[in-house]
Amino acid sequence: MAGKKQALFSAAILAGMCVLPLELGIYPQHVLIVSLFYAMMASSWNLLAGFTGQVSFGHAAMAGIGAYTSGILAVKAGLNPWVGVCIGTAFAALLGFGLGALCLKMGGIYLSLTTLAFSQILHIIIVNEYNVTRGTMGLQVPGLMEEYSKISYYYIMLAAAVLILAILYWMIHSNLGLNFRAVQNDEVAAKSVGVKVLRVRVLAFTVTSAMAGFAGGLYGHYLLLITPEIPSLDLQFKVLAMTVIGGMGSFFGPIIGAFALNILEEYIRIYGEYHVLVFGMVALVVARFVPNGLIGLWRKFRPMKSREAVK
Amino acid sequence: MAKIPTDEVAGGREIDKEESVALLEGHKVSKSFGGVQALSQVDFAVEKGTIVGLIGPNGAGKTTLFNAVAGALKPTSGRVVFDEADITGFPANAVCRMGMARTFQVTRPFAAMTCLENVMVAAINRYPEKSKSFIEGLAREKLALVGLVDLQAFEARQLNVVQKKRLEMARALATGPKLLMLDEVLGGLNTQEIYQAVAFIRRLRDELGLTVLWIEHVMGAIMPAAERLIVLDQGQVLMVGTPNEVVRDARVIQAYLGE
Repeated sequence: MAGKKQALFSAAILAGMCVLPLELGIYPQHVLIVSLFYAMMASSWNLLAGFTGQVSFGHAAMAGIGAYTSGILAVKAGLNPWVGVCIGTAFAALLGFGLGALCLKMGGIYLSLTTLAFSQILHIIIVNEYNVTRGTMGLQVPGLMEEYSKISYYYIMLAAAVLILAILYWMIHSNLGLNFRAVQNDEVAAKSVGVKVLRVRVLAFTVTSAMAGFAGGLYGHYLLLITPEIPSLDLQFKVLAMTVIGGMGSFFGPIIGAFALNILEEYIRIYGEYHVLVFGMVALVVARFVPNGLIGLWRKFRPMKSREAVK
Repeated sequence: MAKIPTDEVAGGREIDKEESVALLEGHKVSKSFGGVQALSQVDFAVEKGTIVGLIGPNGAGKTTLFNAVAGALKPTSGRVVFDEADITGFPANAVCRMGMARTFQVTRPFAAMTCLENVMVAAINRYPEKSKSFIEGLAREKLALVGLVDLQAFEARQLNVVQKKRLEMARALATGPKLLMLDEVLGGLNTQEIYQAVAFIRRLRDELGLTVLWIEHVMGAIMPAAERLIVLDQGQVLMVGTPNEVVRDARVIQAYLGE
């Protein structure tokens, strides 16, 4: 019953997401496109951090890998952006596999530091390899379509997000998801009941890196200008905040967090750099009072409602 | 009356070996941590269908031997043979798939997962090709076996110590083991619960045909339950024998009580 309700709810939201932008202007459409990008980023990071317990700081870097790979191939080799996005995704998966294998024996803070270092090294390379990446100036890349159309980009991003979320949903609810959570809860015990812990960890790294690369590639071709902002720690921490505020370790939490924070950001943009302060405060309040995020808050009050209904 | 039982037992073991009924064997298993020799040249055998107790004073190396056998630790030297295959240094997940399941001295449930999910993790890795309904059914069956089926929807962290031990037992059973390795499952139980647990473990052997290797400090429980006891002291096998032989042995008494 709960599953049916959830499916119906999701279908309704999706239908709304299909129709809604037709009524909106260019600017809200842009906000929604960016939100969809963040929803993909936060949800895939959540699989890694919330389900296997590997708190990686290299997720934005993987998005950057996807964006720059596709962008450079399009600019230097004249490759079709769609093919470029696929190659970028594959390259991000490859690097994710390598990074995951490197971090195999690491847990907790050591894994975080290693991925942080990876992220910083990549950032430095991109900023300094001016001839290839155009450094902080940004790399101008062609769009996904001949003619620029906001609404088309919106539907492309929506389709991409649905694809990514469907894969994530399937993974979380399959045997793999149980293995992921077992590894997160207790690696030694997981091993003792037959879970191939190393394989599970590397798989999570590879798959989520591919997803970040895919999202980053599409995002770059939407912006038409790829800057080191994509593989930056700013973006990484935004993804982290969205996941934590939305509800880490739940499927819907990061999606809600991505939309909530990205839309909130538009409202507080006028305060300039102070909007980071607001982000930090929101994260602080959530961590203190609702550690399970917005989704946890909702779950907490839902049973009370149903109890009242029974009365 | 002062006969030394070890010779008899050693003779008996040789016959066993010829019939090759040993499910688990250790040959000169050693493990050292830096300069500390936790296990030195431990020889032992667990015959199919028996309950074998592993006893010894604190720090004797019982849990280290468990870890070295079950893949949590790599032995420094020596050989471990399980079900006629050399498994020395195999990782825990591989050993588990071959049919060796264990519980932990300090319980290690998947705290943020429900009891049902805890057991399902074990089942899906044993039967990866089976349907979800089969896995859930199997997990429920194992939970019912240990009397936890009513708590299946509760998260493991909500359980008390005794329930956590039962959950680990259900999880171990869901891996479809031939050999069940229990690490002090009776700790923290009262007399009545100990009596039930011992009866339960005997039933597992009698009805499911499991072989049991069992570390236990509660002597009153392990003595009547086990056919044979392996006594470890300071990382070495002090003696092997029936419970009656072991309690009468002067060396065992000395190891436990001192001079």
